[in-house]
Amino acid sequence: MLRVYLEFAKKSFQKRMQYRIANLAGLLTNFFFATVRILVFTAFYAAQTEPMPLDLNEVITYVCLTQAFLMVMPLWGRAEIAETIKDGSVAMQLAKPVDFHGYWFADECGKSIYYVIMRAIPTFVLARFLFDMWIPLDLTVIILFLFSITLAIVLGAAINITAFGTVFWTLDATGIVGFAFTLSTFFSGFLVPIALWPEWLQQIAAWLPFEGLVHLPFSIYLGKLTGGAALTAIFKQSLWVLIFVSLGRLILRRGFSHLVIQGG
Amino acid sequence: MQSIIEVEDLSKEFKVYRHRQGFMGSFVNLFSRQHAVVRAVDHINFKIRRGEIVGYIGPNAAGKSTTIKMLTGILVPTSGGLRVNGRVPHEQRKENARRIGVVFGQRTHLWFDLPVEESFELLRHIYRIPMEQYRANLELFNDVLELHNFFQTPVRQLSLGQRMRADIAAALLHDPDVLFLDEPTIGLDVVAKERIRQFIREINQERQVTVLLTTHDLSDVEKLCERVILIDHARILFDGKLTAIRSLIPRERLLIVDYAERYPNVELRHTVIAYHENMRVHYRFSPDNISITDLISEILERFKIMDLSIQEPEIEEIVRLIYERKVLLEGQ
Repeated sequence: MLRVYLEFAKKSFQKRMQYRIANLAGLLTNFFFATVRILVFTAFYAAQTEPMPLDLNEVITYVCLTQAFLMVMPLWGRAEIAETIKDGSVAMQLAKPVDFHGYWFADECGKSIYYVIMRAIPTFVLARFLFDMWIPLDLTVIILFLFSITLAIVLGAAINITAFGTVFWTLDATGIVGFAFTLSTFFSGFLVPIALWPEWLQQIAAWLPFEGLVHLPFSIYLGKLTGGAALTAIFKQSLWVLIFVSLGRLILRRGFSHLVIQGG
Repeated sequence: MQSIIEVEDLSKEFKVYRHRQGFMGSFVNLFSRQHAVVRAVDHINFKIRRGEIVGYIGPNAAGKSTTIKMLTGILVPTSGGLRVNGRVPHEQRKENARRIGVVFGQRTHLWFDLPVEESFELLRHIYRIPMEQYRANLELFNDVLELHNFFQTPVRQLSLGQRMRADIAAALLHDPDVLFLDEPTIGLDVVAKERIRQFIREINQERQVTVLLTTHDLSDVEKLCERVILIDHARILFDGKLTAIRSLIPRERLLIVDYAERYPNVELRHTVIAYHENMRVHYRFSPDNISITDLISEILERFKIMDLSIQEPEIEEIVRLIYERKVLLEGQ
């Protein structure tokens, strides 16, 4: 049974392999923004006299990490499957003996694996040379990070499906997705590392799912979360994955009874 | 014999939201939305036996596709009952999907970015088709549909006819009991249509696959179906043997010719000029009196032409005639 969903993920990966030039352009764009953001932080740090919770090299590494995993984060990029709900071609998937949430999830995972290989890894290599990005050498840190980033990707897919699943009711998910996008870009710590936030705002972020996308895995990477704290972070991520997978499944199930097939 | 498809008192309603016009209107829309209820399918009943080929015909927006989408479990009915193979499609969507094949003429089942072969491989996994069965089916379909010419081509590069052949083969790879075809010949040329019809006929005869076919091409129905269900405005207007309404299918065709020059006399044997303006002439003729090939060769002998096309009778015409002769049909 699982085999089918692995195949879906594989096909989703292959599909994107056809657009390698687009990916190269994307990589360059990522780099442009990485440079801009690093310059901003460098200027900011130059004016700073007090010691900061993250030093400059750590912030630069953090920025490089966010740029590397940008395409894996939810709500970035297109949601082809949500578009099929909108244009009615979703009917073709529903006519097959396939669990729709599973299919969508597999597609998201295939997409993420593609972007890890084609975006994240090249960014790592380039950022190492260009910006002196820090790379952990502690095996425990690396293993914990790999766990945590995998959960971040899975959580991202689950949030994505949940947000885009509202397309059944609205036929245009842009509003809700835009809202979710703003929330997640901010509260994940993507824009500004949560470690640099005021204490009260950090408290709020800790109760939201979005820190599991960026803040937790990258704090583990930077060695800010170790041992028990790292395991707690991974536990929190797993819990959010569970919640959003259930929520997404519920939304899709409800959505199908609302389905109106557009055009023929 | 037992029915494989049972539809009882089935209805489907859609809400259509009305948007108020203008600036103030769009503001009001935010707080209260007006909607109208549209009945796409209105209390219909029918039963189909195993091995039948049934033409489910009607004008545009009559409710054909909506019915098919309920039978395949894609849409949830508003009221009424339906069973396919003893299962309720929207409640057991996946189980139902395993035993049916679906082709929607205007959409594709295949993965747009992948070669046909890859799509078929994926379907093999989805339907858990044993390798032996998969190979045997592929070979058979290849003979009739000649898939090998474009088997490695990405679906998005296929012509409409090729795509349709691939789609129909894809829908039959897992040996379904029922095949739902929604406008399978739409947009195809005569040769491609004929090839697909022949394939449907073979599959039906050799494998006893039940076929429910929606179309608004009357020649599909004439060549494939013994039984037709005619639907109009969401209701069934006629359900019975094709022979019973065959007399209603207009025999007349319309031939439209654009001449290259102005000719004083453009009259042709066995035809009636229905319209004549400048160099364009519409001829009405019946294939019973003169064959299309004879007609065309006569034109080509006598005149220089720019363009030529033939219009088939339309379902709307039959629907109109049925309304007219309804009393007569009910008396039979």
